[in-house]
Amino acid sequence: MTTPEPDHHDGTSDATPGGYESNRRPGELGFAVIMLIASVGLLWNAYGISGFEALSAPGAIPMATTLVMSISALIVVVRTASLPRVTTETLAKDILPIVVILFVCFLIGYAVLLRPLGFLPTSALFLIIAIKLLSKRSWRFTLTVSLGNLLAIWLIFRIVFTVLMPAGIVPEAEFIQFFRDLSGGAN
Amino acid sequence: MDTLIAFLTVFSQPQLLMLVGLGTFAGVYVGAIPGLSVTMAVSILISFTFSWDVYPAISLMIGIYMGGVYGGSRTAILLNIPGAPSAIATALDGYPMAKRGEAGTAIGVTTVMSFIGGFIGIGVLALAAPFVSDFALKFQPRDYMLLAVLGILLVGSLSTGSLVKGIFAGALGIAIGAVGRDPLTFTERFTFDLRIMEGGISFIAVMIGMFGVSEALMQLHHVDKTAVRQKISRIVPSFATVRKHLPLSMQTSTIGVVIGALPGTGGDIAALMAYDHAKRITKEPERPFGDGAMEGLVAPETANNAAVGGAFIPMMTLGIPGDAVTAIMIGALFIHGLNPGPMLMIDQPDMFWFIVGALVTANCFMLLFGLTGIRLFTKIVEMPRAVLIPLIMLLSIVGAYAVNNAISDVYWMLGFGVFGYFMRHYGYPLGPVILGVILSRLLDDNWRRAIISEREDLGRFFGGLFSSPLSTVLFVAVVLIFVSQTPLWTRAKSIVMRGKA
Repeated sequence: MTTPEPDHHDGTSDATPGGYESNRRPGELGFAVIMLIASVGLLWNAYGISGFEALSAPGAIPMATTLVMSISALIVVVRTASLPRVTTETLAKDILPIVVILFVCFLIGYAVLLRPLGFLPTSALFLIIAIKLLSKRSWRFTLTVSLGNLLAIWLIFRIVFTVLMPAGIVPEAEFIQFFRDLSGGAN
Repeated sequence: MDTLIAFLTVFSQPQLLMLVGLGTFAGVYVGAIPGLSVTMAVSILISFTFSWDVYPAISLMIGIYMGGVYGGSRTAILLNIPGAPSAIATALDGYPMAKRGEAGTAIGVTTVMSFIGGFIGIGVLALAAPFVSDFALKFQPRDYMLLAVLGILLVGSLSTGSLVKGIFAGALGIAIGAVGRDPLTFTERFTFDLRIMEGGISFIAVMIGMFGVSEALMQLHHVDKTAVRQKISRIVPSFATVRKHLPLSMQTSTIGVVIGALPGTGGDIAALMAYDHAKRITKEPERPFGDGAMEGLVAPETANNAAVGGAFIPMMTLGIPGDAVTAIMIGALFIHGLNPGPMLMIDQPDMFWFIVGALVTANCFMLLFGLTGIRLFTKIVEMPRAVLIPLIMLLSIVGAYAVNNAISDVYWMLGFGVFGYFMRHYGYPLGPVILGVILSRLLDDNWRRAIISEREDLGRFFGGLFSSPLSTVLFVAVVLIFVSQTPLWTRAKSIVMRGKA
């Protein structure tokens, strides 16, 4: 089958998964070993569900799947270990650059702040920091794009999709009611 | 008569017509913007349309699916960046055409061919699904179980990656789907005595994490990448051009429908296989493949859109997804209280014909939007990644939270997002994970039914596999797919070849 060179070997789709066929990427062996350990741990846990009680027991499929996971993870570890390392890539540059770690931290921070601070302030903070950091453009551009997009998202999801997000410190309901009263008053 | 009324539901209700149109329009752009995928969009959307009635929700999703599969070709041609995985093969000849100043012709041909492919796929769906569902009533629990295994195996074997990693991903998905209390015995499975795990892991959180967050994190590698935009000439292709490539489009549409209909495989694999087929059968292309051959555009574009209709066949008739997007749609139907499978086709045939009608409408909208609005299009798709990535992340969080209003779903989503990011880097396919999650319950239930009916005797179970032709075919297919990816097969093949020589 035709296999176009995947962009950055990062797996654009299941038709063209990432990685190299005859080389191992930085950290690939470590990931494979973690998968093996996790699979064996899950197999042990699955055994604890109902043991070998019966083939139709609730633990049968979990045991079968984790056994398959363990065997396939072991094969992956053996295969990966036998492959030479890609010499042109490093873990810090090609797999886990600072920007990715930073964004994972931002996302965790977002999830932590979402409830206490509310959707609007947390999202505004996240978008402003993220867009400023990535675009490296002026504050004017950053604020316009971030707040403009946030307003559009809030209007679409709050009004069209009626999604309720945590209000936090923003009196969102009173705000909406105020505009409803205004439009009602205009009629 | 009822069938016709159900088929025309979309046309008779302006709200649904508008939603299909809006969905298709959005889908074209979602598919076209690199970094936004249809799977991602539909998985995020499912959480927002949660409170809607099933008809408007499905209308919007079908529009996005149809438009998105097509939309990826636009950026593949204009920027050499496939907007969607199904357009990877399109870039190979589309971009060289654009560089020669034939971007308009390439887009026009792509649009018309996608339309033709889409119609063939929907036609096959409409004709075949009622028969398949009748046939599916004869399926025994073991057949469903084998079909689920077959679907998960197929994704790994038809992609270019490692089958072992595909199997690992599929098994992982089944294990994720098993987390929580067993619905039959109420026994805790993989809960680690944590209350938060008892209700299981929300499959929407898994999907948004795997396809939304992991993609956004991956795109961080390409923030500074700029593409050279090409000028666009005439878009509507001449009738002679369409007629010339019609025979090829019929063949590649067939490939698309078949690959789409196989459980688990979708438009991306269909497009690559169709491209390969076109290369093999076109003896004298006007230009060499890879240098702007029109056949190199026609083949993948008809195939990936034909695969859409194909993917709905196993979804509607067996309740087994044809690809990742239909896996998510099955989830959407579950949420709305519907259970896709042969009984849905019998109890609620109007739902099936409504979906066929919505697909036809989306296909027509796709032709309309494909041949118009190119100026607006070029402006929107050039949205900088620096803005796009944070927006995808924000939408992913909102989507994961919105389903249960639970912050734990957001943490699950983030966890699976980071996990999916590493899986992508190291060549583990994500499709089998989602298929595994969706098929976990079906596999578990049917295995238990099958083995109980054989009185817990494994020997009788295997004996039963050879007592029905369908079970035998499915079992042999599963074994063959597995063996074909092992060194044993390569060795056997080389022995046979040597013998022939």
